[in-house]
Amino acid sequence: MPKVKTSRVKFPEGWELIEPTFRELEAKMREAENDPHDGKRKCEALWPIFKIAHQKSRYVYDLYFRRKEISKELYEFCLDQGYADRNLIAKWKKSGYERLCCLRCMQPRDHNFQTTCVCRVPKHLREEQVIECVHCGCRGCASGD
Amino acid sequence: MAHRLLRDAQADGWERSDFPIICESCLGDNPYLRMTKADYDKECKICTRPFTVFRWRPGRDARYKKTEICQTCCKLKNVCQVCLLDLEYGLPVQVRDTALSINSNDAIPKSDVNREYFAEEHDRRARAGIDYESSFGKARPNDTILKLQRTTPYYQRNRAHVCSFYVRGECTRGSECPYRHEMPQTGELSQQNIKDRYYGINDPVAMKLLAKAGEMPSLVPPDDESIKTLYVGGLDARITEQDLRDQFYAYGEIESIRMVLQRACAFVAYTTREGAEKAAEELSNKLVVKGLRLKLMWGKPQTLKPEGEGGDDEAARQGLVAHGGMLPRALVSQQQSSQQPLPPGTEEHSQQQQPAMPYFNIPVPPPPQRTFYPSMDPQRMGAIVSSGEASDSKGGSEKPGQLRGPDGLGHSSYPLPPPPPHGQYQNYYPQYGYPTPPPPMHYQHQYPPYQSMPGPPPQPPPAARQYQHQGAAPSSTPQT
Repeated sequence: MPKVKTSRVKFPEGWELIEPTFRELEAKMREAENDPHDGKRKCEALWPIFKIAHQKSRYVYDLYFRRKEISKELYEFCLDQGYADRNLIAKWKKSGYERLCCLRCMQPRDHNFQTTCVCRVPKHLREEQVIECVHCGCRGCASGD
Repeated sequence: MAHRLLRDAQADGWERSDFPIICESCLGDNPYLRMTKADYDKECKICTRPFTVFRWRPGRDARYKKTEICQTCCKLKNVCQVCLLDLEYGLPVQVRDTALSINSNDAIPKSDVNREYFAEEHDRRARAGIDYESSFGKARPNDTILKLQRTTPYYQRNRAHVCSFYVRGECTRGSECPYRHEMPQTGELSQQNIKDRYYGINDPVAMKLLAKAGEMPSLVPPDDESIKTLYVGGLDARITEQDLRDQFYAYGEIESIRMVLQRACAFVAYTTREGAEKAAEELSNKLVVKGLRLKLMWGKPQTLKPEGEGGDDEAARQGLVAHGGMLPRALVSQQQSSQQPLPPGTEEHSQQQQPAMPYFNIPVPPPPQRTFYPSMDPQRMGAIVSSGEASDSKGGSEKPGQLRGPDGLGHSSYPLPPPPPHGQYQNYYPQYGYPTPPPPMHYQHQYPPYQSMPGPPPQPPPAARQYQHQGAAPSSTPQT
């Protein structure tokens, strides 16, 4: 019987620099997961989860595309290991979607009149000034705002 | 219930419709409306049969509204599917039935079994072509209804509901809360329910309205016997002198009718005191012309103005002031109208008449404000219209404060007279660009007030826009 290998993950170079941030965000995520949802509205329950997931993806995106501080290898590693959302980052690279909050909010098929979420509407075109979108609690993620 | 789900919906008499039967208030003030439709979505709150539910948001400050009762039930009582108020007068069923002394109630059963059967039976008859035997719409509205009915839609009714969490003091949503943060009204009116409203029994709103109709004050004729003039307030540009004459001639010989467009009022002078008294008695509280409720009051004697003021129009009314105190007022007003033979509606006319009109200090009603919705702007989603117009309205959209004005989009270059002269709806919406070449004399003809403007009237590009503005009125149906 071959020996069972326990840790096959090879951490690329530079991982130890960004690891503390991920650990911190993971702790936050665990806390949000265990948070009781009493007194919250039904739609509100998942908002903190979306928020932290967005934060993690944003961290990786910033490091690689904006500040260019991590290698391609490390970037791919983060995506593969699920530290960041590949699809969300793919959207951020497109113009108009630079600040997209979550993938559901830009999906016209998920909405009544084949539109996007209200948080995708620029502030000056919106009839209500203060909103929180029902999917992820976004207060507005149009790229011009 | 299971056997129902298996059966054919149509055979079961479930309602399927393409458009709701609703009143104007429930439809909201935005002409561009998105509605959702859900077949057999909810049960009717009266007959408990499934029906097609429509849902929409009637305007910016409004909550989402949906149809509450089925069309069979709503037709039985001729009420709105949403607010259950009469479709014609906007009054509760109880008020309407009491006022018209009809009883629409006895036929409609209230027990569970019978109710559904009755509704189905009614549907069947309607489908077979035996239509409603009801007299709705045929009976002439009587005095009570004329006094109570609304002539304009009442959008306050569409506001969001009061936040129940706020009432308990535990709303955590703050400014994001879509509900109203106000304390609910207590008292009789808080005890309303949908069935009582529909059947027209124990309706607190109806009680209040009927009580109000009972104690509406009638006009007390003034002691001064020489007063034979009635004041009509709340006029609009739509109402012409002829409309007033049509309303008032039945009560006595009319000496003169004077319209003061700037103050949105008119004065109707009778030759006899009896005529004036009769008109005041008959028409008070229920004078409605072209869907506009007018205020009727007795005229008051004219007070003399000091001579020193009023510069340019001084000469025009000098003769007037000289013997204004001695002549009977009727004669004075006759003189006045003969002195100014200008055609009604021109700027000069109303400007000159205005200072000679000191006896009423009723404030001018504010010009009709219509809210501007971003969704009304055709270019909002990036559509490109004709070049001149696109740039104009883009400049306008940077200044939303200006946009909300009654004149509509970017018309700051030319001021309209306060009451829009015609096409009152077309003024408020942005125009779709259909660059038809304008015949310029048409434009000159339609806007006489421009002669008084200091600069030369704006030439081709603005003229083109204004022409579209007008040309839109007859052809608006295919456009929208």
